[in-house]
Amino acid sequence: MTTMTDTNNPPVPERIAKHPNFWRNRKHAEHFRNHDEEFDAAKFGMWLFLTTEVLLFAGIFVAYAVFRMMYPDAWSNGSHYLDWRFGGANTVVLLISSWTAASAVRCAQMNNQKWLKINLIITILCAFIFLWVKLQFEYFVKLGDGKAPGTFFSYPNAHDAHEQLWWSLYYMGTGLHALHVVIGAGLLCWVLVRSIKYQAYGPGEYTMVENSALYWHIVDLIWIFLFPLLYLVH
Amino acid sequence: MSQNAADTHDLSWNPEDPHGSTMHAHHVISWQVLLLVLLALLACTALTVGVYNLETWIETAFEVRIPKWVNVFGAMSIATIKAVLVCAFFMQLKYDKALNTFALLFCLLGVGLFLTFSMIDLNTRDTIHAYKGVEKTVGGTGSGLNTPAVDERFNSRLSPHISTGNAGIVEYARLNGNANHKGLNAYRENDSLDEADFWTHFYGSHATHRDRLDEHNYFESLGYAHHLEGSKHSTANLSVPRYGVTPGLFDDVAPQEHAGGHAASSGSEHDDGGHESTGNDNGH
Repeated sequence: MTTMTDTNNPPVPERIAKHPNFWRNRKHAEHFRNHDEEFDAAKFGMWLFLTTEVLLFAGIFVAYAVFRMMYPDAWSNGSHYLDWRFGGANTVVLLISSWTAASAVRCAQMNNQKWLKINLIITILCAFIFLWVKLQFEYFVKLGDGKAPGTFFSYPNAHDAHEQLWWSLYYMGTGLHALHVVIGAGLLCWVLVRSIKYQAYGPGEYTMVENSALYWHIVDLIWIFLFPLLYLVH
Repeated sequence: MSQNAADTHDLSWNPEDPHGSTMHAHHVISWQVLLLVLLALLACTALTVGVYNLETWIETAFEVRIPKWVNVFGAMSIATIKAVLVCAFFMQLKYDKALNTFALLFCLLGVGLFLTFSMIDLNTRDTIHAYKGVEKTVGGTGSGLNTPAVDERFNSRLSPHISTGNAGIVEYARLNGNANHKGLNAYRENDSLDEADFWTHFYGSHATHRDRLDEHNYFESLGYAHHLEGSKHSTANLSVPRYGVTPGLFDDVAPQEHAGGHAASSGSEHDDGGHESTGNDNGH
């Protein structure tokens, strides 16, 4: 398929044009009738996986609801310990990265190789900014104060007997989310490397871009709920 | 979509491809739509943060207590709108096969079941219905939301080697402190330190009630007792801003007054929006 943006791309070097990973050279697996079926199957598989991710985080959310009902004082104090400005900044960072991830899929669909790479790079940079804010301004400061989970708790100015439970949930929820940020950034890095080396993704072959972006969006989605629950609800 | 997909765009039924999957074109979302969705998401973020700050300002400026459900409902509604935007446009569910949406909705049904049954369990754990009274037997902890907190349940150990003694983890930390913050014991044992400094910092952050370890009543001498001036509890005319249930706050209220009195029942309405079920003891 030729697209309008093909004229914008520099001519494909011989080395890439003959490489089996170049998107025009990709063949669908033999047990699929055509590439579309393979794409739909892969995408549905990704969605099934994403539902298990949602259920994984559902455990955290249910724990949040249960503990909030049992110890409303500890939960109220807990959210007041967090600064909404850091959470808000990270929300903005993740939303922008989700936008660039969606734009990366669009660029792959339109064979815009240059902006595919630029969008991926911005997304990965946003992931690092997110983790940096999280560690530098939140985790390190709070752990230094002794606002640590469970039995590691040693903050003397706590006002409620159950605040260590709040911190357990805070580190569990945001830590699990941060782990997903790392994994998502790793996937996008892989996509970026392959698109630099082989121009592996284009209109005929962008399953991996799509699925990595879906994973990244679910990371964003989880944060959309974690942010108000941890920082704003009191 | 293969390279020859354009050539096979024939609307007649093809026995090789009964479901017409080669005719299915992937939807490319225009950049204008993507940008619009991003701006909507950022606006929603600004809105939810703005509502939070507005609520905090109203509560402190007018000394009123906004019910907690307003806060929760507002924040969660905006979060849901944002989630729908991300799913529909960024994750392309709007343009996608419905199967993917069904998978997500089915999973959300599961999340709903988790939440609902946990909440039902928590709310009814210490309830014995009258019609089951004859079956009542001794067993279990029977503790739930309506059971007064029993601090002895939290005699956790800090590590296998350090016992917190009879104190909970938080109380143990309050007494012993850590590398960055001196604990109460340090202020008491060291003559050059004034215990009042500890309590100034302590009450300064979330002054709610006199702490159990505050033996010399710094709560009053430092001027935080005005929070409890006059009626200690919210009345129909004055709502005392206070977050959550404060253990021991109602200790001086006689039990019969608490159960039947008008002032006490209006107080318990205000003290805790986190769970509405505490109204149980007023009803009987």
